[in-house]
Amino acid sequence: MSPGNSNHDLFENLRLELRRGSLILAVMASLQAEQYGYTLRKTLTEHGMPIDEGTLYPLLRRLETQGLLVSEWREEDKRNKRFYRLSEDGKTIFKQLLAEWQSMNSSLNGIL
Amino acid sequence: MDILDSYLRAVKRCLPRAQSDDIIRELSDELRSQLDEQQAALGRPLSDEELMAFFKKHGDPMTVGRRYRQDHRSLSLGWELIGPELFPMYLILLSFNLALTIAAVVVVSLMVHLPIKPDTFLVPVLAQIICLTVVFTILNLIRRKFPQPWYYPPAELAPLLPISRWYSLVGLAMWATVAIWWLAVPHFPQLILGSGAAHLKLAPTWHRFYVPMLLLLLASVSQRVVSLVYPTWTWVIPVVRAIINGAAVPILYGLMFKSQTLVVPAEGIQNTPQNQQLVEKFNDLIRWGILGPWLWIWAGISAMVYAWYCVPHLRRLIRRVRGQALSAVS
Repeated sequence: MSPGNSNHDLFENLRLELRRGSLILAVMASLQAEQYGYTLRKTLTEHGMPIDEGTLYPLLRRLETQGLLVSEWREEDKRNKRFYRLSEDGKTIFKQLLAEWQSMNSSLNGIL
Repeated sequence: MDILDSYLRAVKRCLPRAQSDDIIRELSDELRSQLDEQQAALGRPLSDEELMAFFKKHGDPMTVGRRYRQDHRSLSLGWELIGPELFPMYLILLSFNLALTIAAVVVVSLMVHLPIKPDTFLVPVLAQIICLTVVFTILNLIRRKFPQPWYYPPAELAPLLPISRWYSLVGLAMWATVAIWWLAVPHFPQLILGSGAAHLKLAPTWHRFYVPMLLLLLASVSQRVVSLVYPTWTWVIPVVRAIINGAAVPILYGLMFKSQTLVVPAEGIQNTPQNQQLVEKFNDLIRWGILGPWLWIWAGISAMVYAWYCVPHLRRLIRRVRGQALSAVS
Protein backbone atom coordinates (compact mmCIF):
# COMPACT_ATOMS: atom_id res chain seq x y z
CA MET A 1 0.00 0.00 0.00
CA SER A 2 1.45 3.42 -0.96
CA PRO A 3 1.81 6.18 1.70
CA GLY A 4 -0.78 8.23 -0.24
CA ASN A 5 -3.34 5.45 -0.05
CA SER A 6 -2.56 4.77 3.57
CA ASN A 7 -3.06 8.46 4.47
CA HIS A 8 -6.28 8.54 2.52
CA ASP A 9 -7.60 5.46 4.34
CA LEU A 10 -6.55 6.90 7.68
CA PHE A 11 -8.27 10.19 6.93
CA GLU A 12 -11.39 8.32 5.77
CA ASN A 13 -11.53 6.29 9.00
CA LEU A 14 -11.09 9.38 11.17
CA ARG A 15 -13.64 11.31 9.13
CA LEU A 16 -16.19 8.51 9.55
CA GLU A 17 -15.51 8.39 13.28
CA LEU A 18 -15.99 12.15 13.56
CA ARG A 19 -19.16 11.99 11.47
CA ARG A 20 -20.76 9.11 13.36
CA GLY A 21 -21.45 11.13 16.52
CA SER A 22 -22.54 14.20 14.58
CA LEU A 23 -24.98 12.10 12.55
CA ILE A 24 -26.79 10.91 15.66
CA LEU A 25 -27.18 14.52 16.73
CA ALA A 26 -28.39 15.55 13.27
CA VAL A 27 -30.92 12.71 13.14
CA MET A 28 -32.24 13.52 16.61
CA ALA A 29 -32.46 17.22 15.74
CA SER A 30 -34.42 16.43 12.58
CA LEU A 31 -36.78 14.13 14.44
CA GLN A 32 -38.04 16.81 16.79
CA ALA A 33 -40.76 16.92 14.14
CA GLU A 34 -42.21 13.62 12.96
CA GLN A 35 -40.76 12.25 9.69
CA TYR A 36 -40.41 8.99 7.87
CA GLY A 37 -37.10 7.59 6.68
CA TYR A 38 -37.14 8.80 3.11
CA THR A 39 -38.00 12.42 3.96
CA LEU A 40 -35.57 12.37 6.87
CA ARG A 41 -32.79 11.32 4.53
CA LYS A 42 -33.71 14.10 2.11
CA THR A 43 -33.79 16.66 4.92
CA LEU A 44 -30.34 15.61 6.09
CA THR A 45 -28.97 15.71 2.53
CA GLU A 46 -30.43 19.17 1.96
CA HIS A 47 -28.65 20.35 5.11
CA GLY A 48 -25.30 18.98 3.96
CA MET A 49 -25.40 15.74 5.97
CA PRO A 50 -25.95 13.08 3.28
CA ILE A 51 -26.51 9.62 4.68
CA ASP A 52 -27.20 6.42 2.80
CA GLU A 53 -30.20 4.32 3.72
CA GLY A 54 -27.97 1.42 4.76
CA THR A 55 -26.63 3.61 7.58
CA LEU A 56 -29.77 5.58 8.42
CA TYR A 57 -32.29 2.78 8.97
CA PRO A 58 -30.12 0.63 11.26
CA LEU A 59 -29.31 3.84 13.19
CA LEU A 60 -33.02 4.64 13.56
CA ARG A 61 -33.68 1.13 14.84
CA ARG A 62 -30.82 1.37 17.30
CA LEU A 63 -32.07 4.71 18.63
CA GLU A 64 -35.57 3.28 18.92
CA THR A 65 -34.29 0.22 20.80
CA GLN A 66 -32.48 2.60 23.16
CA GLY A 67 -35.80 4.35 23.80
CA LEU A 68 -34.76 7.65 22.21
CA LEU A 69 -37.23 7.42 19.31
CA VAL A 70 -40.80 6.22 18.92
CA SER A 71 -42.29 5.11 15.65
CA GLU A 72 -45.62 4.15 14.16
CA TRP A 73 -46.80 2.79 10.81
CA ARG A 74 -49.23 5.04 8.96
CA GLU A 75 -50.52 5.27 5.44
CA GLU A 76 -49.47 8.26 3.34
CA ASP A 77 -49.72 8.63 -0.44
CA LYS A 78 -51.32 5.16 -0.59
CA ARG A 79 -48.23 3.63 0.96
CA ASN A 80 -47.51 2.43 4.46
CA LYS A 81 -44.72 4.41 6.02
CA ARG A 82 -43.00 4.26 9.35
CA PHE A 83 -42.96 7.67 11.04
CA TYR A 84 -40.32 8.45 13.65
CA ARG A 85 -40.11 11.17 16.29
CA LEU A 86 -38.13 11.82 19.46
CA SER A 87 -39.53 10.18 22.56
CA GLU A 88 -39.73 12.08 25.86
CA ASP A 89 -36.44 10.48 26.93
CA GLY A 90 -35.05 11.30 23.49
CA LYS A 91 -35.95 14.97 23.88
CA THR A 92 -34.15 15.14 27.24
CA ILE A 93 -31.05 13.34 25.95
CA PHE A 94 -31.06 15.48 22.80
CA LYS A 95 -30.98 18.68 24.88
CA GLN A 96 -28.07 17.31 26.92
CA LEU A 97 -26.20 16.16 23.83
CA LEU A 98 -26.75 19.50 22.12
CA ALA A 99 -25.39 21.36 25.13
CA GLU A 100 -22.39 19.02 25.19
CA TRP A 101 -21.77 19.50 21.49
CA GLN A 102 -22.00 23.31 21.79
CA SER A 103 -19.58 23.27 24.68
CA MET A 104 -17.15 21.04 22.79
CA ASN A 105 -17.51 23.23 19.74
CA SER A 106 -16.64 26.40 21.61
CA SER A 107 -13.74 24.64 23.36
CA LEU A 108 -12.45 23.40 20.04
CA ASN A 109 -12.78 26.84 18.49
CA GLY A 110 -10.72 28.18 21.37
CA ILE A 111 -8.01 25.56 20.87
CA LEU A 112 -7.96 26.00 17.09
CA MET B 1 -41.86 -5.16 -9.37
CA ASP B 2 -40.14 -8.53 -9.73
CA ILE B 3 -36.59 -7.29 -9.35
CA LEU B 4 -37.28 -5.18 -6.26
CA ASP B 5 -39.18 -8.02 -4.59
CA SER B 6 -36.40 -10.42 -5.43
CA TYR B 7 -33.77 -8.05 -4.02
CA LEU B 8 -35.79 -7.60 -0.83
CA ARG B 9 -36.16 -11.37 -0.47
CA ALA B 10 -32.38 -11.73 -0.72
CA VAL B 11 -31.88 -9.02 1.93
CA LYS B 12 -34.51 -10.61 4.19
CA ARG B 13 -32.52 -13.84 4.32
CA CYS B 14 -29.64 -11.91 5.94
CA LEU B 15 -31.70 -10.03 8.52
CA PRO B 16 -32.31 -10.87 12.18
CA ARG B 17 -35.43 -13.04 11.98
CA ALA B 18 -37.44 -11.27 14.68
CA GLN B 19 -37.33 -7.93 12.86
CA SER B 20 -37.04 -9.03 9.25
CA ASP B 21 -40.65 -8.36 8.17
CA ASP B 22 -40.66 -4.92 9.70
CA ILE B 23 -37.29 -3.97 8.21
CA ILE B 24 -38.29 -5.22 4.77
CA ARG B 25 -41.53 -3.20 4.83
CA GLU B 26 -39.57 -0.07 5.61
CA LEU B 27 -36.77 -0.79 3.15
CA SER B 28 -39.34 -1.56 0.48
CA ASP B 29 -40.96 1.84 0.97
CA GLU B 30 -37.59 3.60 0.88
CA LEU B 31 -36.46 1.86 -2.32
CA ARG B 32 -39.84 2.34 -4.02
CA SER B 33 -39.71 6.06 -3.14
CA GLN B 34 -36.20 6.33 -4.60
CA LEU B 35 -37.20 4.45 -7.74
CA ASP B 36 -40.31 6.62 -8.15
CA GLU B 37 -38.15 9.72 -7.84
CA GLN B 38 -35.68 8.48 -10.48
CA GLN B 39 -38.49 7.47 -12.83
CA ALA B 40 -40.18 10.84 -12.37
CA ALA B 41 -36.90 12.61 -13.16
CA LEU B 42 -36.37 10.52 -16.31
CA GLY B 43 -40.03 10.58 -17.31
CA ARG B 44 -40.02 6.84 -18.03
CA PRO B 45 -39.64 3.52 -16.22
CA LEU B 46 -36.07 2.45 -15.49
CA SER B 47 -34.54 -0.11 -17.83
CA ASP B 48 -33.29 -3.42 -16.47
CA GLU B 49 -29.72 -2.16 -16.67
CA GLU B 50 -30.59 1.02 -14.75
CA LEU B 51 -32.36 -1.09 -12.12
CA MET B 52 -29.30 -3.29 -11.85
CA ALA B 53 -27.09 -0.20 -11.32
CA PHE B 54 -29.55 1.04 -8.69
CA PHE B 55 -29.36 -2.17 -6.65
CA LYS B 56 -25.60 -2.40 -7.06
CA LYS B 57 -25.31 1.09 -5.59
CA HIS B 58 -27.56 0.10 -2.73
CA GLY B 59 -25.23 -2.78 -1.86
CA ASP B 60 -25.23 -6.54 -1.98
CA PRO B 61 -27.97 -8.11 0.16
CA MET B 62 -25.55 -9.66 2.62
CA THR B 63 -23.88 -6.34 3.44
CA VAL B 64 -27.23 -4.56 3.70
CA GLY B 65 -28.56 -7.27 6.05
CA ARG B 66 -25.43 -7.17 8.22
CA ARG B 67 -25.94 -3.48 9.01
CA TYR B 68 -29.13 -4.38 10.87
CA ARG B 69 -27.46 -7.02 13.01
CA GLN B 70 -26.48 -6.01 16.50
CA ASP B 71 -24.36 -9.13 17.00
CA HIS B 72 -21.29 -8.49 14.87
CA ARG B 73 -19.74 -11.86 15.68
CA SER B 74 -16.72 -12.96 13.69
CA LEU B 75 -13.89 -15.49 13.81
CA SER B 76 -10.41 -14.10 14.37
CA LEU B 77 -7.02 -15.53 15.18
CA GLY B 78 -5.03 -12.34 15.50
CA TRP B 79 -6.43 -11.32 12.13
CA GLU B 80 -9.93 -11.69 10.81
CA LEU B 81 -10.65 -15.14 9.35
CA ILE B 82 -14.42 -14.85 8.88
CA GLY B 83 -16.07 -11.44 9.03
CA PRO B 84 -19.48 -10.58 10.49
CA GLU B 85 -21.21 -10.75 7.06
CA LEU B 86 -20.31 -14.40 6.54
CA PHE B 87 -20.20 -15.58 10.13
CA PRO B 88 -23.94 -16.33 10.57
CA MET B 89 -23.95 -18.44 7.39
CA TYR B 90 -20.72 -20.17 8.50
CA LEU B 91 -22.34 -21.11 11.82
CA ILE B 92 -25.48 -22.48 10.13
CA LEU B 93 -23.50 -24.55 7.63
CA LEU B 94 -21.06 -25.79 10.26
CA SER B 95 -23.88 -26.91 12.56
CA PHE B 96 -25.64 -28.65 9.67
CA ASN B 97 -22.46 -30.39 8.48
CA LEU B 98 -21.45 -31.48 11.98
CA ALA B 99 -24.90 -32.89 12.72
CA LEU B 100 -24.85 -34.76 9.41
CA THR B 101 -21.30 -36.05 10.00
CA ILE B 102 -22.08 -37.28 13.51
CA ALA B 103 -25.27 -39.00 12.29
CA ALA B 104 -23.37 -40.63 9.40
CA VAL B 105 -20.56 -41.86 11.68
CA VAL B 106 -23.11 -43.36 14.10
CA VAL B 107 -25.04 -45.10 11.29
CA VAL B 108 -21.89 -46.49 9.64
CA SER B 109 -20.47 -47.66 12.99
CA LEU B 110 -23.73 -49.45 13.81
CA MET B 111 -23.85 -51.05 10.37
CA VAL B 112 -20.32 -52.44 10.54
CA HIS B 113 -20.65 -53.29 14.26
CA LEU B 114 -17.85 -50.98 15.37
CA PRO B 115 -17.84 -49.58 18.93
CA ILE B 116 -18.86 -45.90 19.05
CA LYS B 117 -16.15 -44.02 20.90
CA PRO B 118 -15.29 -40.29 21.05
CA ASP B 119 -12.18 -41.03 18.91
CA THR B 120 -14.41 -42.24 16.08
CA PHE B 121 -15.83 -38.74 15.64
CA LEU B 122 -12.57 -36.84 16.02
CA VAL B 123 -11.18 -37.00 12.46
CA PRO B 124 -14.47 -36.44 10.54
CA VAL B 125 -15.51 -33.58 12.84
CA LEU B 126 -12.09 -31.91 12.65
CA ALA B 127 -12.04 -32.35 8.87
CA GLN B 128 -15.45 -30.63 8.59
CA ILE B 129 -14.39 -27.72 10.80
CA ILE B 130 -11.07 -27.21 9.01
CA CYS B 131 -12.50 -27.50 5.48
CA LEU B 132 -15.43 -25.18 6.10
CA THR B 133 -13.26 -22.64 7.93
CA VAL B 134 -10.74 -22.60 5.07
CA VAL B 135 -13.50 -22.15 2.46
CA PHE B 136 -15.10 -19.29 4.42
CA THR B 137 -11.71 -17.68 5.08
CA ILE B 138 -11.07 -17.63 1.33
CA LEU B 139 -14.54 -16.17 0.70
CA ASN B 140 -13.86 -13.57 3.37
CA LEU B 141 -10.54 -12.64 1.77
CA ILE B 142 -12.27 -12.19 -1.58
CA ARG B 143 -14.91 -9.98 0.02
CA ARG B 144 -12.25 -7.85 1.67
CA LYS B 145 -10.19 -7.56 -1.53
CA PHE B 146 -13.21 -6.47 -3.57
CA PRO B 147 -15.16 -4.25 -1.20
CA GLN B 148 -17.97 -3.50 -3.69
CA PRO B 149 -19.06 -7.04 -4.42
CA TRP B 150 -22.17 -8.38 -6.06
CA TYR B 151 -21.82 -12.04 -5.29
CA TYR B 152 -25.39 -12.79 -4.37
CA PRO B 153 -27.56 -11.37 -7.08
CA PRO B 154 -31.23 -12.17 -6.75
CA ALA B 155 -32.26 -14.77 -9.32
CA GLU B 156 -34.22 -12.20 -11.32
CA LEU B 157 -31.07 -10.14 -11.79
CA ALA B 158 -28.96 -13.08 -12.92
CA PRO B 159 -29.93 -12.63 -16.59
CA LEU B 160 -28.42 -9.14 -16.46
CA LEU B 161 -25.00 -10.25 -15.25
CA PRO B 162 -22.64 -10.92 -18.17
CA ILE B 163 -20.79 -14.21 -17.84
CA SER B 164 -17.18 -13.62 -16.88
CA ARG B 165 -14.79 -14.55 -19.71
CA TRP B 166 -12.41 -15.99 -17.15
CA TYR B 167 -15.14 -18.35 -15.96
CA SER B 168 -15.95 -19.44 -19.52
CA LEU B 169 -12.27 -19.89 -20.33
CA VAL B 170 -11.63 -22.12 -17.32
CA GLY B 171 -14.73 -24.20 -18.16
CA LEU B 172 -13.64 -24.44 -21.79
CA ALA B 173 -10.16 -25.68 -20.84
CA MET B 174 -11.61 -28.21 -18.43
CA TRP B 175 -14.30 -29.64 -20.70
CA ALA B 176 -12.03 -29.61 -23.76
CA THR B 177 -9.54 -31.72 -21.78
CA VAL B 178 -12.30 -34.18 -20.80
CA ALA B 179 -13.59 -34.33 -24.41
CA ILE B 180 -10.08 -34.99 -25.77
CA TRP B 181 -9.60 -37.70 -23.13
CA TRP B 182 -12.88 -39.33 -24.14
CA LEU B 183 -11.95 -39.10 -27.85
CA ALA B 184 -8.59 -40.72 -27.15
CA VAL B 185 -9.91 -43.58 -24.97
CA PRO B 186 -10.74 -46.02 -27.88
CA HIS B 187 -7.23 -45.53 -29.33
CA PHE B 188 -5.42 -45.51 -26.00
CA PRO B 189 -7.44 -47.72 -23.58
CA GLN B 190 -4.71 -47.27 -20.99
CA LEU B 191 -6.20 -43.80 -20.41
CA ILE B 192 -9.05 -45.53 -18.60
CA LEU B 193 -7.60 -48.98 -17.87
CA GLY B 194 -4.11 -47.88 -16.87
CA SER B 195 -1.61 -50.75 -16.71
CA GLY B 196 -4.56 -53.20 -16.96
CA ALA B 197 -4.88 -52.29 -20.68
CA ALA B 198 -2.33 -55.02 -21.48
CA HIS B 199 -4.80 -57.67 -20.28
CA LEU B 200 -8.18 -55.99 -20.75
CA LYS B 201 -10.28 -54.24 -23.40
CA LEU B 202 -13.47 -52.20 -23.32
CA ALA B 203 -16.61 -54.32 -23.71
CA PRO B 204 -18.90 -53.84 -26.78
CA THR B 205 -21.46 -52.10 -24.52
CA TRP B 206 -19.19 -49.01 -24.58
CA HIS B 207 -20.04 -48.46 -28.25
CA ARG B 208 -23.71 -47.88 -27.37
CA PHE B 209 -22.82 -45.06 -25.00
CA TYR B 210 -19.61 -43.73 -26.53
CA VAL B 211 -21.13 -41.46 -29.19
CA PRO B 212 -23.96 -40.03 -27.01
CA MET B 213 -21.41 -39.21 -24.29
CA LEU B 214 -19.07 -37.66 -26.86
CA LEU B 215 -21.92 -35.50 -28.19
CA LEU B 216 -22.74 -34.30 -24.68
CA LEU B 217 -19.10 -33.44 -24.05
CA LEU B 218 -18.88 -31.55 -27.34
CA ALA B 219 -22.09 -29.71 -26.45
CA SER B 220 -20.49 -28.72 -23.12
CA VAL B 221 -17.41 -27.42 -24.94
CA SER B 222 -19.60 -25.53 -27.45
CA GLN B 223 -21.56 -23.89 -24.63
CA ARG B 224 -18.31 -22.53 -23.14
CA VAL B 225 -17.21 -21.24 -26.55
CA VAL B 226 -20.55 -19.46 -27.06
CA SER B 227 -20.40 -17.99 -23.53
CA LEU B 228 -16.85 -16.82 -24.17
CA VAL B 229 -17.74 -15.09 -27.44
CA TYR B 230 -21.16 -13.77 -26.33
CA PRO B 231 -20.94 -13.17 -22.55
CA THR B 232 -24.26 -11.32 -22.52
CA TRP B 233 -26.16 -14.41 -23.71
CA THR B 234 -26.70 -15.41 -20.11
CA TRP B 235 -29.57 -17.80 -20.93
CA VAL B 236 -27.14 -20.14 -22.71
CA ILE B 237 -25.72 -21.55 -19.46
CA PRO B 238 -28.95 -22.69 -17.75
CA VAL B 239 -30.69 -23.82 -20.93
CA VAL B 240 -27.80 -25.80 -22.41
CA ARG B 241 -26.72 -27.31 -19.10
CA ALA B 242 -30.26 -28.34 -18.18
CA ILE B 243 -30.47 -30.15 -21.53
CA ILE B 244 -26.98 -31.72 -21.33
CA ASN B 245 -27.31 -32.87 -17.73
CA GLY B 246 -30.87 -34.03 -18.32
CA ALA B 247 -29.72 -36.10 -21.31
CA ALA B 248 -26.77 -37.47 -19.32
CA VAL B 249 -29.11 -38.99 -16.71
CA PRO B 250 -30.54 -41.86 -18.87
CA ILE B 251 -27.18 -42.40 -20.60
CA LEU B 252 -25.29 -42.77 -17.33
CA TYR B 253 -28.11 -44.85 -15.90
CA GLY B 254 -27.79 -47.30 -18.81
CA LEU B 255 -24.01 -47.35 -18.55
CA MET B 256 -23.99 -47.88 -14.80
CA PHE B 257 -26.96 -50.05 -14.04
CA LYS B 258 -28.04 -51.76 -17.26
CA SER B 259 -24.65 -52.87 -18.53
CA GLN B 260 -23.41 -56.12 -17.06
CA THR B 261 -19.80 -55.78 -18.13
CA LEU B 262 -17.85 -52.69 -19.09
CA VAL B 263 -14.45 -54.39 -19.40
CA VAL B 264 -13.58 -57.87 -20.78
CA PRO B 265 -10.30 -59.79 -21.16
CA ALA B 266 -8.27 -58.74 -24.20
CA GLU B 267 -7.74 -61.15 -27.12
CA GLY B 268 -5.21 -63.87 -26.35
CA ILE B 269 -5.58 -63.51 -22.58
CA GLN B 270 -6.31 -66.75 -20.79
CA ASN B 271 -9.43 -67.03 -18.67
CA THR B 272 -7.55 -67.75 -15.46
CA PRO B 273 -9.07 -66.96 -12.02
CA GLN B 274 -6.46 -64.25 -11.64
CA ASN B 275 -7.55 -62.56 -14.89
CA GLN B 276 -11.22 -62.97 -13.99
CA GLN B 277 -10.52 -61.21 -10.71
CA LEU B 278 -8.77 -58.41 -12.62
CA VAL B 279 -11.80 -58.02 -14.92
CA GLU B 280 -14.15 -57.85 -11.92
CA LYS B 281 -11.91 -55.33 -10.18
CA PHE B 282 -11.85 -53.01 -13.20
CA ASN B 283 -15.59 -53.33 -13.77
CA ASP B 284 -16.20 -52.33 -10.16
CA LEU B 285 -13.63 -49.56 -10.32
CA ILE B 286 -15.23 -48.00 -13.39
CA ARG B 287 -18.82 -48.59 -12.30
CA TRP B 288 -18.45 -47.42 -8.68
CA GLY B 289 -15.39 -45.19 -8.98
CA ILE B 290 -14.74 -43.33 -12.22
CA LEU B 291 -18.32 -43.21 -13.50
CA GLY B 292 -20.03 -44.17 -10.25
CA PRO B 293 -23.61 -43.45 -9.21
CA TRP B 294 -22.44 -40.14 -7.73
CA LEU B 295 -21.95 -38.85 -11.29
CA TRP B 296 -25.46 -39.98 -12.17
CA ILE B 297 -26.94 -38.30 -9.09
CA TRP B 298 -24.91 -35.14 -9.77
CA ALA B 299 -26.19 -35.00 -13.37
CA GLY B 300 -29.80 -35.37 -12.17
CA ILE B 301 -29.53 -32.71 -9.48
CA SER B 302 -27.66 -30.31 -11.82
CA ALA B 303 -30.33 -30.77 -14.49
CA MET B 304 -33.02 -29.78 -11.98
CA VAL B 305 -31.04 -26.82 -10.63
CA TYR B 306 -30.32 -25.47 -14.14
CA ALA B 307 -33.94 -26.01 -15.14
CA TRP B 308 -34.86 -23.83 -12.14
CA TYR B 309 -32.32 -21.19 -13.28
CA CYS B 310 -34.14 -21.08 -16.63
CA VAL B 311 -37.25 -19.65 -14.93
CA PRO B 312 -36.12 -15.98 -14.66
CA HIS B 313 -34.91 -16.09 -18.27
CA LEU B 314 -38.24 -17.51 -19.36
CA ARG B 315 -40.07 -14.84 -17.37
CA ARG B 316 -38.01 -12.13 -19.07
CA LEU B 317 -38.71 -13.65 -22.46
CA ILE B 318 -42.46 -13.71 -21.80
CA ARG B 319 -42.33 -10.09 -20.59
CA ARG B 320 -40.47 -9.05 -23.73
CA VAL B 321 -42.84 -10.89 -26.07
CA ARG B 322 -45.86 -9.38 -24.28
CA GLY B 323 -44.27 -5.91 -24.45
CA GLN B 324 -43.66 -6.30 -28.19
CA ALA B 325 -47.23 -7.53 -28.73
CA LEU B 326 -48.63 -4.57 -26.77
CA SER B 327 -46.51 -2.02 -28.66
CA ALA B 328 -47.57 -3.63 -31.96
CA VAL B 329 -51.24 -3.27 -30.96
CA SER B 330 -50.83 0.36 -29.89
